[in-house]
Amino acid sequence: MTSPDVSNGMKIYQYDKSAALFRRAAKVIPCGIYGHFSPTPCVPVSAYPFFSERTEGAKFWDVDGNEFVDYMCAYGPMVLGYHHPVVDEAYQAQMKRADSNSVASPKMVELAEFMVDMIPVADWAFFAKNGADVTNYAAMIARAVTGRNKIIAIAGGYHGTTPWMQAAGHHGTIDDDLTHIRRIPWNDFAALERVVAEHPNDVAGFIASPYHHPIFVDNEMPAEGYWQKVQQFLKKNGIVFIIDDVRCGFRLHMGGSNELFGFKPDLICFCKAIANGYPISALVGTESLKNVAAKVFHTGSFWYSAGPMAAALACLQELKRIDGPKIMADQGKKLLAGMVEISKAHGYHLQVSGAPSMPYLRITDDASLMLHQQWCAECTRRGAYLTSHHNWFVSTAHTDEDIQRTLEIADDAFKAVKQAR
Amino acid sequence: MNESLIKAYLNLHAVFQNLEDLVKFDEPMAQLIRDWDLTVEFVVRNGPSAFVEFKNGVCRHGATAHDNPTVRLYFTSAGHLNRMFDGKATPIPLKGFLRLGFLKREFAQLTDRLTYYLRPELGKPDDESYVKLNTILTLQTAIYAVKVLGMLEPTSKKIAAHIPAGALQVEVLPAGPCLHLVFDKGGISVAKGPAKQPMAKMAFKNLQVANALLTGKLDGFLAVANGDVVLQGQLPMVDNLNLILDRVPRYLV
Ligand SMILES: Cc1ncc(COP(=O)(O)O)c(C=O)c1O
Repeated sequence: MTSPDVSNGMKIYQYDKSAALFRRAAKVIPCGIYGHFSPTPCVPVSAYPFFSERTEGAKFWDVDGNEFVDYMCAYGPMVLGYHHPVVDEAYQAQMKRADSNSVASPKMVELAEFMVDMIPVADWAFFAKNGADVTNYAAMIARAVTGRNKIIAIAGGYHGTTPWMQAAGHHGTIDDDLTHIRRIPWNDFAALERVVAEHPNDVAGFIASPYHHPIFVDNEMPAEGYWQKVQQFLKKNGIVFIIDDVRCGFRLHMGGSNELFGFKPDLICFCKAIANGYPISALVGTESLKNVAAKVFHTGSFWYSAGPMAAALACLQELKRIDGPKIMADQGKKLLAGMVEISKAHGYHLQVSGAPSMPYLRITDDASLMLHQQWCAECTRRGAYLTSHHNWFVSTAHTDEDIQRTLEIADDAFKAVKQAR
Repeated sequence: MNESLIKAYLNLHAVFQNLEDLVKFDEPMAQLIRDWDLTVEFVVRNGPSAFVEFKNGVCRHGATAHDNPTVRLYFTSAGHLNRMFDGKATPIPLKGFLRLGFLKREFAQLTDRLTYYLRPELGKPDDESYVKLNTILTLQTAIYAVKVLGMLEPTSKKIAAHIPAGALQVEVLPAGPCLHLVFDKGGISVAKGPAKQPMAKMAFKNLQVANALLTGKLDGFLAVANGDVVLQGQLPMVDNLNLILDRVPRYLV
């Protein structure tokens, strides 16, 4: 057991048990830890925990017993705080009655009714498990209703791991997977017009997130009037307008993030924050697509499990009751204002982009990101869990006290970075 | 761009540059070329050119034609060149007829030695000094190949298009080799030595780790997670580099 280092009275975390567990994982699991939880983008990996033991509110404890204020929130699903009593009770109660079984649950109808009621675009709702389940379904509906082939997406936009959503050259994909996919730059209306003109009567759908939140680069809000022009243009050309609200959904606006930006797509994909961590995703859409949606065959072994449906209903009701998006935006603003001020005091420039409840931060003094990576690592090994490559997430459970603690950590992390340079 | 042409570029621009280091690190080859004073140029019809110049015990490789080589070797097609690299064809000399004996004997000794070091099945995979040079040359071949594929191969070109501009440094700790690639809007250059201002770095803990990764015996994700490979900076550069690196074996064994 290594003895913990201390910096200005702050404990510097060690991860012996995480590392040992990873060695075991590596023997029996490809990558040890794969996908978005892979340690690969954590720089240096030695600053990050790999395995957690316990969660509560806005915090988690890793297998070494280190406590973290969590700014990744399970990469989005945690929105009301871990173990939120209202959501957990609804889930437990449903689980006692029925979860996966041979026929559908009344909870599914209640949840669909609630969502149709709350989300202006929604005339119907369909449930699955993961984000990609519904982004795929949306693309299939667009093709089914138009009889066309092409899907237009934004360069750098992420919609899941199905081959058509991946960039060229990724393992397991073939060049033909992208035959009918066109990627255009964010906020570039002229590019949209151009691609549609290049493929007359062959563009089925356009998919994008409500604002651009790629990894490793600053996030970008829609330009003034962009969405309104896009909406009008797609309608004129008979192209299905799909919003991938998997990451932003219910963090920005309870009616769908498009409401914040003043436009109406035809289909909206939700996942992540919908049930505070219980596994469920949803596609909602307009009346005109309902019959076609019914014809597109799409289902999965666990898509009818009722526990997560009860959790989703409780989560959405609670978020709506407390105006969750406002709380998260307010707490996010407090955190960011404090961080920017602290960085300035240390002589660094911290660039903030994206929504305050899911901000992307970058220290601009070093374009290679190495300085930023160093600072995020120093924050993490002092107890504020945050990655350098991906937007962070704020939940309604992040208290003023959590934020104050985080700012103290950020301050000491800047000192450490300065010393090391 | 067809497969044979890509392979010809790889042979002349990625494989052949290793002669520079072969004569530096392999004593018998250093002895062999000590007194050479000549330039051999390779010209492929409708394909790549390259030259290797020997002077004062040093070898310099160039990925272009040469104004005034001592020997000019001509290949009627990319396939012709590739067959020579497989030992199944001979070039057409256009210049330097008096040196043909030299080409057959001494120069062939040098290229055979390169093949020996690049193909463990022909070499001594249990010998430490063999493995060292094999790893260095294989890594260099791979990094030089990234430039070739990124500029010429359709899928690699698409991957390269996503690579942020700047220098990407690849090094083996603690004592090298170190190389870097510079990406700039579709243009790619490659050179030996550290980058001035790297935007990203990929460092292998030692030659053994580099060897295990290059031979597919070690999973790169695991290597990063347990600290055998250290990544820093603009990681999308490294991710995309690795995607192209993984395409190299489609063309080079
Ligand atoms: C915007 C967006 N769309 C789709 C997905 C894919 O969701 P899932 O991983 O649940 O399939 C994600 C996941 O991060 C996402 O952020």
